[in-house]
Amino acid sequence: MALDLRSAGVRRGTSAWRHVDLLLLAAIAGITAIGLLMIYSSTRQSQAGAGLDPGYFIKRQALFVVIGVVIMLVVALVDYQILRDIAPAVYGAAMFVLLLVLSPLGTERRGTQAWFQMGPYQFEPSEVAKLALVIALAAFCAAHRCELDSGRLTTALGIATVPLLLIYLQPDVGTGMVFVAILMGILLVGGASPRQIAILTLLGITAIVAVLQLGVLKDYQRDRLSAFLDPKEDVQRSAYNLNQSKIAIAAGGVGGRGLFQGTQTNLSFVPEQHTDFIFTAVGEELGFVGATTLLGLFGLVMWRTWRAAITAKDEFGMLVCVGVLAMLVFQVFENVGMTMGITPIAGIPLPLMSYGGSATVATFAGLGLVLSVQMRRFS
Amino acid sequence: MRGDSTSLRLGILAVVVLSLFSALFARLWYLQVLSAPTAQAEAQLNSVRFVYTEAPRGRILDRNGKVLVGNRVVPTVVVNKTELGEKPEIVISHLAALVKMPEDKLRERIEDPRYSPFKPIPVADDVPKETLIHIREHQAEYPGVQGVMLTKRAYPNGSLAAHVVGYVGEINDAELDPRKARGYRPGDSIGKSGVELAYENDLRGQPEVEKLEVDAQGSVLRSLGRQPAVQGHDVRLTVDLDLQKVAEESLQQSLAAAQGTYDNESSKRFLAPAGSAVVVDPRDGSVLAMASFPTYNPADFIDGISEKTFAELNDPAGHYPLNNRVTQGLYAPASTFKLVTSIAGLETGLITPQYTVNDRGTFTIGDPPTTLTNAFSEAFGPVNLSAALTVSSDVYFYELGSRFCPGQCNTSIQDAARELGLGDFTEIELPFEASGRIPDEQSKRRLNDSNPDAFPDPEWYTGDNLNLAIGQGDTVVTPLQLVNAYATLGNGGTVYAPHVGGAILDVNGVEVRKVETRVNRKTEIPAAIRQPLVAGFEGAVAASRGTAAPAFAGFPLATFPIAGKTGTAQVGGKQDTALFTAFAPSNDPRYAVTVVMEEAGFGAASAAPVARRIFDQALGLPLTPIAYTVGRD
Repeated sequence: MALDLRSAGVRRGTSAWRHVDLLLLAAIAGITAIGLLMIYSSTRQSQAGAGLDPGYFIKRQALFVVIGVVIMLVVALVDYQILRDIAPAVYGAAMFVLLLVLSPLGTERRGTQAWFQMGPYQFEPSEVAKLALVIALAAFCAAHRCELDSGRLTTALGIATVPLLLIYLQPDVGTGMVFVAILMGILLVGGASPRQIAILTLLGITAIVAVLQLGVLKDYQRDRLSAFLDPKEDVQRSAYNLNQSKIAIAAGGVGGRGLFQGTQTNLSFVPEQHTDFIFTAVGEELGFVGATTLLGLFGLVMWRTWRAAITAKDEFGMLVCVGVLAMLVFQVFENVGMTMGITPIAGIPLPLMSYGGSATVATFAGLGLVLSVQMRRFS
Repeated sequence: MRGDSTSLRLGILAVVVLSLFSALFARLWYLQVLSAPTAQAEAQLNSVRFVYTEAPRGRILDRNGKVLVGNRVVPTVVVNKTELGEKPEIVISHLAALVKMPEDKLRERIEDPRYSPFKPIPVADDVPKETLIHIREHQAEYPGVQGVMLTKRAYPNGSLAAHVVGYVGEINDAELDPRKARGYRPGDSIGKSGVELAYENDLRGQPEVEKLEVDAQGSVLRSLGRQPAVQGHDVRLTVDLDLQKVAEESLQQSLAAAQGTYDNESSKRFLAPAGSAVVVDPRDGSVLAMASFPTYNPADFIDGISEKTFAELNDPAGHYPLNNRVTQGLYAPASTFKLVTSIAGLETGLITPQYTVNDRGTFTIGDPPTTLTNAFSEAFGPVNLSAALTVSSDVYFYELGSRFCPGQCNTSIQDAARELGLGDFTEIELPFEASGRIPDEQSKRRLNDSNPDAFPDPEWYTGDNLNLAIGQGDTVVTPLQLVNAYATLGNGGTVYAPHVGGAILDVNGVEVRKVETRVNRKTEIPAAIRQPLVAGFEGAVAASRGTAAPAFAGFPLATFPIAGKTGTAQVGGKQDTALFTAFAPSNDPRYAVTVVMEEAGFGAASAAPVARRIFDQALGLPLTPIAYTVGRD
């Protein structure tokens, strides 16, 4: 035996693939395919109108998907337990990059300092930091056998607060909310007592109200967040997005207006449609049937991730799956809810659907973690 | 391997996830299944714009197809506001120099909110062809600028028949409201008066409708289809262009002649500021000529009338040139009303045609006695009905008028007037017609109620009946009512609704429909009544004692007998109104003519010569030169 597989962290690697969750992979493939189609549908007309390549966005997204799938498989191949051991390093690296993006090395776009410009591509470290938080919190809670006294709880809160603060400095409220969701998910399953959870929930609500009321947010941020409460009030400004988005989805009706047939989609009535508002293209062109199919596929991903958590062979694996699940559920609910006017507008991408490299790769990497846990449930 | 607590917590997580997904499904159901119809309509409104371009209006032709109002193709520079390119300021400044227009004026034009942003805005018209060619050859310098040929209203005969054809203007809110359902839009043209208004529905046609797809920025992406314009139908009038010309010219010449004549009564020249002449065919009520003076130029209204011109047209000192005096002017009919009094007298049996009055020039009535006189107190001696009409004996008609009042006055005269359509709308299709008034006890009381200062006495006296008998007092009629009443006598008793429209023709000249002849009323005028009246009216034109005889000297009355009546109306504070009305040939009339001239003296002197020239023209005779003629009535 030339190589000790166990010490290389590829313990029973090849045989573990026998247990891979094909249903989960199929659901991921289905969502990704719909995502690519919708990105094409919502960009081809405006690109062509500007005399540009109508396939520009779908080609770039396809590249991101390929990179994401490769990373997902690599992550799945690596035994997740290694991550538990190097969790502090992963967390530290992520925090360093979040700090770095605030330096002049980072790039500002629309008032948010959140990107590294790398040639024709941008890298958004906060997307990767989500996974670092999942790993760090899961490792911390698992180390304490899912029993958190108030001291440990404070430490867990501290672990989440550092990236939250750094992201608040960018500022990127939406992504910050995802971090809170991850924190709440892992604490719920990872050992916080019902009393602690109740107190945290109360604190959270107070914080949200305070943030909305105390002028911590810039006007445009508050407007965007609260536009969902009364979108008819000011159609011209922040609520314009929301109104056009709702019109687009509702206009789809039961059967949809047909692929490439949506006027709202084709004629750029919905801003940011290939990114945050990609769900409106599904709603308009594929209708209730298509939208529920897509939500069904997401449901399938959630269910398989939840199953991976329940069948995980250790607390760390379980909590990693719970963290990824919390991240995905929150993003899907917040994003789809925002296009339909039941959640505030926040710049959160729809996993596997929205155009964007960092988010796509990070989502695939998160699903790689789930696969890694799930494949090794018997070992 | 999970502990109970962890399983429970994972279960709670599952419940949370399920409820969040349920919320999404519920919302999706609400939006896509329940709200879909409204949202689809909203999405449609979002992305589709309709651009309307008015169709050329139909033409207005005379009875022989000669063009009174046509269309003209005008080389016009138009600007597409959204296509001016990167530097609209430079394009506008170049264009301003090219069409020789101040830059700010051009900019104002382009920013005019009346125009749809998707529709080319006309900024300069009647530009030389070279300008259009220059724009085409240097299109890169003029993005969004185009040379096109637009159609506009054209009036090849100037202001001829202006009151008949009317004019066209931009639709206002009051006109738009009831017509929105019929496809009218702000900025559209609409007939404002005359035939342009009366036949608006025929003349208008259907606009070109272009359906455009626009994006969120309002940029036009493509045309979704175009429904071409349909030109409006032509309206062929019953008016004869040549007769119309003669009527207008003669009216103006005679007014000018009156203005050069001294009026002994008011000790100054006649003002003669206004007048009208109308010719109808008694056989069907079709109008052959309709002249009103002062007049206006309908071409002034193309592209919107200037404020200055509009103020002039509405200045009282200008005597309201926009008014069509034939249908809107109200005048005391004076002696021309004796037609009515005669019919009432014969119908009620108060007189026979042979009944004779010894006219000594004066008529005395009442206690204390009041004396009424003929013009110049002229004594005509014994006159029967025909002779009284021929010489226009007021004394005869005072005598007759008093006979309707044995104690209380009866309404036989008013009844006869209404039978002939006097004091009521003639129902001509032209707009803004006035109704006039035949006074009676009720109308006098109403006038007193509404304006006791001007009309102090509410009671109806015999004196009122005498005034009525000679067409004075509160009696006012329009020239059109008057000509229609004489036409009715001429045709034996049919009161037609006069009409200027003859037929509606499509763009190829094929008749779409005829304008139908409408009968307002049929009355019985037996020969026993008609014959002595016609004899009296023929005498007025032909007999040596006839009031209108001087004006018809030399006319071939033997072959073309004319039955006519002069009238001279006293108007408080003004010089006399001159009236003449006639029909011919008197046995089977084809023409009925009425001429009314304000502050122009005797009807015989100024109005009758106009009618003479109209008959000259009708018979193809050389036109008799206009001269202020001698006369007594």
